[in-house]
Amino acid sequence: MADFTTSTHRANWIFTPQDLKEKYKDANKRAKQALEKYGATRMEVDIDGSFSYAEPQNDAKDNADKHSRPKALKIEEEQLLRAFYEFKIQDVCDAFKFPRKIQATALIYFKRFYLEWSVMEHHPKNIMLTCIYAACKAEENHVSAEELGKGIEQDHQMILNNEMLVLQSLGFDLIVYAPYRALEGFVSDLEESYDAKLGQSETIKSLHESAKAEVDKIMRTDAPLLYPPGQLALAALRRACEVHKLIDFERYLQNMFSRQHPAHATSELNLALNVIDMLINKLETPTSKDVKHIDRKLKSCLDPSSHDKSKKRKHRSKESSTEMQDML
Amino acid sequence: MGDGRGSNSGSNSNSKPEWLEQYDVIGKIGEGTYGLVFLAKIKSNRAKSIAIKKFKQSKDGDGVSPTAIREIMLLREISHENVVKLANVHINHADMSLYLAFDYAEHDLYEIIRHHRDKVNQPINQYTIKSILWQLLNGLNYLHSNWIVHRDLKPSNILVMGDGEEQGVVKIADFGLARIYQAPLKPLSENGVVVTIWYRAPELLLGAKHYTSAVDMWAVGCIFAELLTLKPLFQGQEVKGTPNPFQLDQLDKIFKVLGHPTQEKWPTLVNLPHWQSDVQHIQGHKYDNAGLYTVVHLSPKNPAYDLLSKMLEYDPRKRITAAQALDHEYFRMEPLPGRNALVSPQPGEKVVNYPTRPVDTSTDIEGTISLQPSQPVSSGNSMSGAMGGPHVMQNRSMPRPMPMVGMQRMQPPGIPAYNLASQAGMGGVNPGGIPMQRGVGPQAHQQQQMRRKDPGMGMTGYPPQQKSRRF
Repeated sequence: MADFTTSTHRANWIFTPQDLKEKYKDANKRAKQALEKYGATRMEVDIDGSFSYAEPQNDAKDNADKHSRPKALKIEEEQLLRAFYEFKIQDVCDAFKFPRKIQATALIYFKRFYLEWSVMEHHPKNIMLTCIYAACKAEENHVSAEELGKGIEQDHQMILNNEMLVLQSLGFDLIVYAPYRALEGFVSDLEESYDAKLGQSETIKSLHESAKAEVDKIMRTDAPLLYPPGQLALAALRRACEVHKLIDFERYLQNMFSRQHPAHATSELNLALNVIDMLINKLETPTSKDVKHIDRKLKSCLDPSSHDKSKKRKHRSKESSTEMQDML
Repeated sequence: MGDGRGSNSGSNSNSKPEWLEQYDVIGKIGEGTYGLVFLAKIKSNRAKSIAIKKFKQSKDGDGVSPTAIREIMLLREISHENVVKLANVHINHADMSLYLAFDYAEHDLYEIIRHHRDKVNQPINQYTIKSILWQLLNGLNYLHSNWIVHRDLKPSNILVMGDGEEQGVVKIADFGLARIYQAPLKPLSENGVVVTIWYRAPELLLGAKHYTSAVDMWAVGCIFAELLTLKPLFQGQEVKGTPNPFQLDQLDKIFKVLGHPTQEKWPTLVNLPHWQSDVQHIQGHKYDNAGLYTVVHLSPKNPAYDLLSKMLEYDPRKRITAAQALDHEYFRMEPLPGRNALVSPQPGEKVVNYPTRPVDTSTDIEGTISLQPSQPVSSGNSMSGAMGGPHVMQNRSMPRPMPMVGMQRMQPPGIPAYNLASQAGMGGVNPGGIPMQRGVGPQAHQQQQMRRKDPGMGMTGYPPQQKSRRF
């Protein structure tokens, strides 16, 4: 439980970079095939609990010759869109003043969900909100769907409709280990070993703050699917130390190792930290402008008939998606 | 959870949900505010019985019940011989209800105690008491070392396996109120304290804001005494309808047996919110301190008494822990505790045959499933035009089956040999010396009764057996 070594987090949700690549590729491929076969990629939950692609209207199907057929998203486009909505998760959580733990849990749910599905199958905007909602429940900070929906001017029924899908896709593995707590541990450890000498608890505090900001960034990379929370925390701490130049991080690490793992060298760990570092450096924060065309493409994949119908039939949801655009 | 995502079963509203096909549902065995519990047999293995717990949808249309979510998420992480095993999770998409399938346990301490008191009219034998207590502590030690507090231990939540390979093995059940230590705090009033008060620790009755593992140990003490005497140790009258945890009558009952707590013995007592009101209240009372040993009929020199009194220590910080209790002299004396609590390895010991659980065969699980005729579940932003009729796609199942049973714990790739994370992650290193009681919400959520209208809701006696037919 509180033991990461025996957790579902470690057993089921830590991958190799190769694993991730395969999963993203598979999901993308599956959605592409559905698009070719059915002319749309949106998934529905049937009454018996099975999932199926929404059947497009006959006319849409008939007209779906090679020219008018929507184009599937590329793997990179899916990635960019996920990155966009992951940033949104932090945005929304900040707006609600949720604790960082909830934010991290929601982000990890979101990431795990899209290892199972393509964004073309389930719109990330909906999934993002449902992940936040589920994270609140799991972290005992219950916020009603209505309240959540209201706060961001979204239909709360949509959040509820997707809840079971999200829980199921996560395999009900809902306990998530975020790096913030590990970071807290390292920082108090640092404080104990350095504070006496430095006499600067204020500086340690600001070091902690910048490390937290680094964790915030890490949470938007693939790193949480690749490394355990303790290593994510150390990577964040190392970056913060580089800026603050207060503490010799290498020495601290050596120190800690000689205390706790005398048999091991730090080289292996340093390799992991370097990879995490690289992932942070590569982190993109796309703006709504950056993803606008992808989102348009996505809309036609999900629901090719929506273009001509949206004005009449989907007035309401159209409206709310405009609001969403504004919010974004 | 590899179910409910079938393929060609179609959306025939008259058929059972697909997952239900694997079971023969025998009948209802329990009921509570959370929902219903059914007994079922697995068709492919008739020897195996399963208890299916159906959660009601959460009220006010707010999706999956948070209690269900909490219970599942905890159970997914734990595995121990003395903790109930979650065999599967089923989803009924029609009404978005959740079904948890557990390995079935034929007995529980509530029934065992009742049987001895009302039917056989004799105490439970020493071997059985000791074995039950040891296994209960063993399971609890596992939970506590995994930073989980159960918070609602009572006889009806302690199950004992019936005939079969695991006969007489104790299983701690009902994790609907369980918490991880580091879960955030919420004020008590938010959810109302409505669980049974008979097993509630004094610090909680006096308004302590933190649940610690010590509250579970207090409950174990109460259960231990009840196994010895066949009577609940502290049967207070509950004041209902108030979020106030301050239950005067329950405190009275405790003080009458254990005497009034003093600041010398329990230094942090003065910090408890309701201590002041208690002081005013007790000025008019005189507690003679009847003495715990007279109530449980044990000599103060008896190791069983020593262990019991250490569980019922007022100061939660001094109260014995599960690990310490397992090490107690009581468990090293004859008769030694065993794995089969119901049958003593000593030849010639009389075996009590406990009755099987009453099953109400008039309540059908399907009647509670309420499949609506072909209503698409997805509404809201879905395109209703595209949803006409039952549309069935071939084998569009979930991308990854996630069976609950026998899930392998693979060594995750990419984790270096030294497991730094597990130590820095939580608990392990704990360089800051973060205290155990940190951040555990004192609130109990809605009432969680497993399978019967339980005692403790202000009743002084046991309720009559629920009307039901024998299976």
